[in-house]
Amino acid sequence: MNWRGEFNKFFSATYKNWIISKRNVFTVFELVFWPFIGLLSIGLLTRFLEVGEDMVAFVLVGAIALSILQITQIDVAYILLFDLWSKSIKHTFVAPIRSYHLVVGSLLFGMIRGTAVFFILVIPSAHIFGFDFLAGGLITVVVFLVGIFMTAASIGMVVCISILLFGQRADVAAWTLSGIMMLVSGIYYPVEILPWPLQILARSMPLTYFLEYYRSAFGYGSHDVLTGIGLAAFYFVLGLLILNMAIRRARTTGMMLRLSE
Amino acid sequence: MPAVFARDVCKSFRTLFKSKEVLHEVSLSIERGEVFGILGPNGAGKTTIMSIFSTLIRPDCGTLEILGRDALKEAHAIRERINISSGNPNFPWSLTVQENLKHSAMLYGLYGENLKRSVEGSIEAFELELHRDSRFETLSTGLKQRVSLAKSILNRPQILFLDEPTSGLDPEMAMKTRSLVKKIYEEQDITVVLTTHYMPEAEELCDRIAFLREGKMVALGTPGELKSQLKLGEKMRIDYRGEVEIERLRRIPGVMEVKISPGGLEVIFDNSGNVVNKIIKAFEKAEIVDISIDQPDLEDVFLELVR
Repeated sequence: MNWRGEFNKFFSATYKNWIISKRNVFTVFELVFWPFIGLLSIGLLTRFLEVGEDMVAFVLVGAIALSILQITQIDVAYILLFDLWSKSIKHTFVAPIRSYHLVVGSLLFGMIRGTAVFFILVIPSAHIFGFDFLAGGLITVVVFLVGIFMTAASIGMVVCISILLFGQRADVAAWTLSGIMMLVSGIYYPVEILPWPLQILARSMPLTYFLEYYRSAFGYGSHDVLTGIGLAAFYFVLGLLILNMAIRRARTTGMMLRLSE
Repeated sequence: MPAVFARDVCKSFRTLFKSKEVLHEVSLSIERGEVFGILGPNGAGKTTIMSIFSTLIRPDCGTLEILGRDALKEAHAIRERINISSGNPNFPWSLTVQENLKHSAMLYGLYGENLKRSVEGSIEAFELELHRDSRFETLSTGLKQRVSLAKSILNRPQILFLDEPTSGLDPEMAMKTRSLVKKIYEEQDITVVLTTHYMPEAEELCDRIAFLREGKMVALGTPGELKSQLKLGEKMRIDYRGEVEIERLRRIPGVMEVKISPGGLEVIFDNSGNVVNKIIKAFEKAEIVDISIDQPDLEDVFLELVR
């Protein structure tokens, strides 16, 4: 195996996502505008409700997590979405590329953008709402971000799997799955207030544990981040396996050809 | 070892309620270094068979070996050694020509100087120097086709699959594309498998041709073999004044068909005997104004096969 060649297969997705993003002026909206609006709206809501500092921290952590999750998961989903929209899927899948090249390569770019969103939001959060996201320490931030990135990668893979199984109409999953995560992972509330079936679902989501971990650094509740790490790794590997199966199925059913036309 | 060996390859596309067979037990062998054409009307299964040969999709049944490797079990290794260019080419719109080629080269695991050389070589081979920094979305159909062809030689494939390489091009651009394909074939010593609707193109480029109709292979051979297999006669067009006994013409051994047309006749005949003289003799009471004889071409083969 040629390692430099293998690395370039990974970077092929990073390279494509980077070029497409830098040419698209609306990337600014994705990266700056919507995350900032989200943070501002939630932050102002806490002022209106006159909640305490710990509650402000609680919901702002949720707001920032959601923004990073959305931006990173869409970058992973872009491995198929860009090809789908430009009808060039055929060229990617006649090349000697494997699903992990595509996922890891696009996740790398998603991580860069997700990290950028984090630091873009740190400044207004500190200046407008007096909440310092970095106060929990560097390791806490890194673990929190890695947890979100792993969760986002799994969601992005689910989007790709849906497209390969159900065709182009399934691309709507790219925008809906993070909404479901928002509901069940306790983005804006503790998962204990959910009805019990949803609590079981919440406890199977790694994001729940990473949110609790980060919030615990600000004095809110306890955490079991190791379970979150285990779940995130499990879903990541499972996602890759199912994505492989979905690609194989799309080659068998002819979906791969239909998506190129 | 043939470049492509297919035995009883079949493919159906299924929806929830129905299944449509698009390829039925296709068997063929394409030798290395050959330019092989797959012809057929719309819906014959040409794109499907190209997609199967290029490992984009999997056959439902049969045996398929590409470069001696099992296409189902060793698809990844095959993909390293082949490439495809499709008619109606599409690449990410906002990437420039050079960026698209660089991205494709990365997909094939090229790196460093090798990557640069491959991209530059492809740009040069398909005369894209002036358009290297143009975004794909701004290119004309002809230029897009050239980008697709340039992409298809990046990894120096041993087999090049060209799915309707001149589809949608004006005659001048189509001619240029054909000469570029010839050039690549001659310079790189590769096997080329192409589909086309355009018969003169197949006749010009292909060593052998397979005809598909409704997913079945109905003929296989060199252009010359196909014409003789189908016993396609030569066509004599005679414009004349006066009287001609049409029935006498029809009775001449070797005459296959007589068609009356404005100002004259068209006689289809097998020129293995002294038929031309006999046909002309039948016009002894008339004055021949003009006469021409056409050899059958692939167009005639095609029309005969799809009839």
